[in-house]
Amino acid sequence: MNKKFAATLATVAWSVLTLAVAGVALADADSNSEANARGEVLFELCRQCHGQEGEGKQPFLAPAIAGLDQWYIESQLSKFKAGTRGLHPQDLGGLRMYPMSQWLANEADISAVAGFVAGLTTAPPVPTIEGGDAHKGEAAYALCAACHGKAGEGNKVMNSPPLRGMSDWYLMTTLQKFKDGVRGSNAENPTEMMMRGMAMSLTDEQAMKDVIAHIMTLK
Amino acid sequence: MVSYFIPALSTYAGDIDFIIDLIFWLVGFWFLLSEGVFFWLIVRYRKKEGVPAEYITGETPEQKRWITIPHFLVLFCDIFILYYAIAAWYEVKQNLPEPQATVRVIGQQWAWTFVHEGPDGKFDTADDITEMNELHIEVDKLYHYKLSATDVLHSFSVPVFRLKQDAIPGRVITGWWEATGTGEFSIQCAELCGIGHALMGARIFIETPERHAAWLAEQSSVEYAALTPSQSVKE
Amino acid sequence: MAESIPHGVDAAHDDHGDHHQQSFWQKYIFSTDHKMIAMQYMFTGMAMGLVGAFMAYTFRMQLAFPGDLVPGFGLVTPANYNALVTNHGTIMIFWVAMPVLLAAFANFLIPLMIGCDDMVFPKINRLSYQIFLLSTIVLIASFFVEGGGFGGGWTAYPPLSGKPIYNLTPLGCTLWVIAVGLEFIAFLLGGINFITTTMNARAPGMKLYDIPIVIWMIVIASILFMLSVGPLIAGAIMLVFDQTLGTAFFDPDKGGDPVLWQHLFWFFGHPEVYVVLMPAIGITAEIITVFARKKLFAYKTVLHTAFGTGVLSFTVWAHHQFISGIDPRMANVFTVTTLLISIPIAEMMFVYIATLYGGAITLTTPMLWALAFIAEFLIGGVTGIFLGASGADIYFHDTYFVLAHFHYTFYPIAIIGTFAGFTFWFPKMFGKMMNETLGKIHFWGTIIPFNLIFIPLFVLGAAGQHRRIYDYTGFPELAKYQDVRVFATMALLVMLAFQLVFFYNCLISWRSGKKAGNNPWNSNTLEWTTSSPPGHGNWKELPTVYRGPYEYSTPGREEDFWPQNVPN
Repeated sequence: MNKKFAATLATVAWSVLTLAVAGVALADADSNSEANARGEVLFELCRQCHGQEGEGKQPFLAPAIAGLDQWYIESQLSKFKAGTRGLHPQDLGGLRMYPMSQWLANEADISAVAGFVAGLTTAPPVPTIEGGDAHKGEAAYALCAACHGKAGEGNKVMNSPPLRGMSDWYLMTTLQKFKDGVRGSNAENPTEMMMRGMAMSLTDEQAMKDVIAHIMTLK
Repeated sequence: MVSYFIPALSTYAGDIDFIIDLIFWLVGFWFLLSEGVFFWLIVRYRKKEGVPAEYITGETPEQKRWITIPHFLVLFCDIFILYYAIAAWYEVKQNLPEPQATVRVIGQQWAWTFVHEGPDGKFDTADDITEMNELHIEVDKLYHYKLSATDVLHSFSVPVFRLKQDAIPGRVITGWWEATGTGEFSIQCAELCGIGHALMGARIFIETPERHAAWLAEQSSVEYAALTPSQSVKE
Repeated sequence: MAESIPHGVDAAHDDHGDHHQQSFWQKYIFSTDHKMIAMQYMFTGMAMGLVGAFMAYTFRMQLAFPGDLVPGFGLVTPANYNALVTNHGTIMIFWVAMPVLLAAFANFLIPLMIGCDDMVFPKINRLSYQIFLLSTIVLIASFFVEGGGFGGGWTAYPPLSGKPIYNLTPLGCTLWVIAVGLEFIAFLLGGINFITTTMNARAPGMKLYDIPIVIWMIVIASILFMLSVGPLIAGAIMLVFDQTLGTAFFDPDKGGDPVLWQHLFWFFGHPEVYVVLMPAIGITAEIITVFARKKLFAYKTVLHTAFGTGVLSFTVWAHHQFISGIDPRMANVFTVTTLLISIPIAEMMFVYIATLYGGAITLTTPMLWALAFIAEFLIGGVTGIFLGASGADIYFHDTYFVLAHFHYTFYPIAIIGTFAGFTFWFPKMFGKMMNETLGKIHFWGTIIPFNLIFIPLFVLGAAGQHRRIYDYTGFPELAKYQDVRVFATMALLVMLAFQLVFFYNCLISWRSGKKAGNNPWNSNTLEWTTSSPPGHGNWKELPTVYRGPYEYSTPGREEDFWPQNVPN
């Protein structure tokens, strides 16, 4: 083997090594946002169904999650993981979340990914359900407002998630699940049992559509 | 061989372990013999100065015997393997003894649902007992399973029973088991069913009749009981 | 240039001697020369081999250290894991074993070993490679679209592969099927060439029983491929329709049948094993006879056995589907045919072992690879009995035992067979000898870790560990074997590191290796009668053949070899 060739080979090997070391060093330097970086890495799996920016994908039964409150995402992930939410033969979307939440190994990972999702922003979801009367729905919403807030901003003390910014199809299926007992019939999840009682007050499909139409107007 | 790793707890597990052991010893013998001859030839016939290779065409009957005789011996061993393999297969998959109880096993992305008939011995009634990702059964009782899937292929695999069967959406496949020992073991999904496949595990609890009766009694107020079974959710 | 004239034996060859200047594009990119197309297939295949190896590295690291960031990849999510194992399988079979073993060796060897100047359809040959390259680009693109690469297994069972709502990779799954379909078309075009050339363009005097075994094996492989792939191409088109147009061939909700796909897939999928096995077995025959200085034991029996295996290979496909919900009575039939096919394969192994008897064996690097092929493939063969016997398969189906078994068949075929052929014909391809010391270091550095990877996986399979699961530590029965997984991963890292020796050896041998003469191994076959590397048109004057290819150590001759083209 000639010398010049060996020298070239050595140079290439050295530069690759230097670059690798520099890369590791750079990654370490940014330790302040470590949790956020970990969250972003973990969010890779969520993207599969919830979309690149957490905007949600109806065909995959995945609601918009970008910008939800961190406490709410954390609590729901923990419930999925414990099997108190989602573990019902007819909760197709929930069953998909059950193994995904198992993948998050510990509390730190759950809060890292929740923190990252809470920090995402995305355009408000486009309405997909027609025939709802926002005006009629406003009256029915008074009941919801007690926990979820007048502007649908949610209330941590009441364990109530924000409603504004949620996809209308997701609100619809969720209400239906509560009414059918697919959600809200597990004694280990009292929040959902309470919600089930509330959902029963929306007696027919039109009433559900109306209140959802109102929620879609909340800013 | 397999029972060294994992207990054999069904009436037919022994048959399957036997065919595996039989193949292991029969095939293992031929394998070691071939490899032995092979390596011996490599060592024995290394090139030596002044010793030319022999000229053997392998076309004469006397020479061909060296491959035809082992060939018939292999065929002879195959017959034993075939007999016991098909016997074990028949016992597990083709034979269907009368059941003492029946369980519905439903696979979906990504969980197992098990439905028991409940006290009345009939499905689709209010006293059905539904379990998610847990299956409680009684030891020494002959169960039929009615296996189905709601979305993609899954495979119902219970290693301690040596039982495995794919679930196909649109079909109900019937099979059976009879457990011979108690304990808590794993049920796995053995057919790739999407990104949650790895976490689609369940547990099987094989219980004594007393334990099982106690468990049944606890289930009377189970949360799913309120459901009408045929209800469907539109998503 | 005579590229557009199909060359039969009787065609005029006036213009073959002159090596006129060709531009870079003519010579390397749009060449119709069979040797250049062989190199294109070879290097595309090897590059894809590196991609497949990287995938193996990534998911083995994830299995050994679940949840940790994998250096060079990052966090492996369940979706990543499924896409990695799926595409590792797809690439290693369709983009490594097929192009290297079948296309590259067939293109390089057929005209040289049967004594003609090029394939009979050189332009179809070029088109074949171009379609293959296109399929490669489509497959690589499928990893980078939204949703990521397809993760439904290399067998792509519907409904999972048929509906994006189940596999969650709307673009990845479609691109994957299209890539596989294009790849099949490329090899159909190649296969036409391989069969036609061998049958029509042989040198004068070369009778059917004078054709070297490796060429026969390639022809049989091409026939098997062409007969079996039709149903799967139809199936692939139906699957793309299911994915994109909403048809329901495999969708049970609308009356389709998912099991139909399994039949179409395995009707191709099982003969496919023999499609790649045959060339590897042929390469082994060439190398063993040369380095044992022996006539191949029972040439005609080998040939008849290979044809028999080919026919039988169409009757065993459903042993992949014993527990898939087919009628259980059908399993009995397929158990019988499956155990029957063990007999011709065993016979071929016996023939090779018998060939060694009475030889004068030199353990050169290619010979080591060829012997390793036999030793390792035997393990793959015997473990197949466990899976072919229906009763035992109930337990072993879809466990690591299956995985270890088919790696013990495909690894000897695709990796060991390739290295055997590559090191053996390297002098002919590049005109230089390879470095023997480096070659042997690479050999032992590959073969020992290979066994250390997969023997532990047999044990895991016997312990009931199922395939395609990204983390076993969550299963109480399986978590305790974590050390075994770490061990297998470490062996893989060692094996990958030793591949650097191979690339280094190629580079330095190519640049400054010892010059190889026309016939460095004292071999009989025709490719060794021309210059190394052969020029455009292969021979100044095409050779005439007088005898079979394996006349080594013939009594009454001074030299221990007797080339096919030497009159006496």
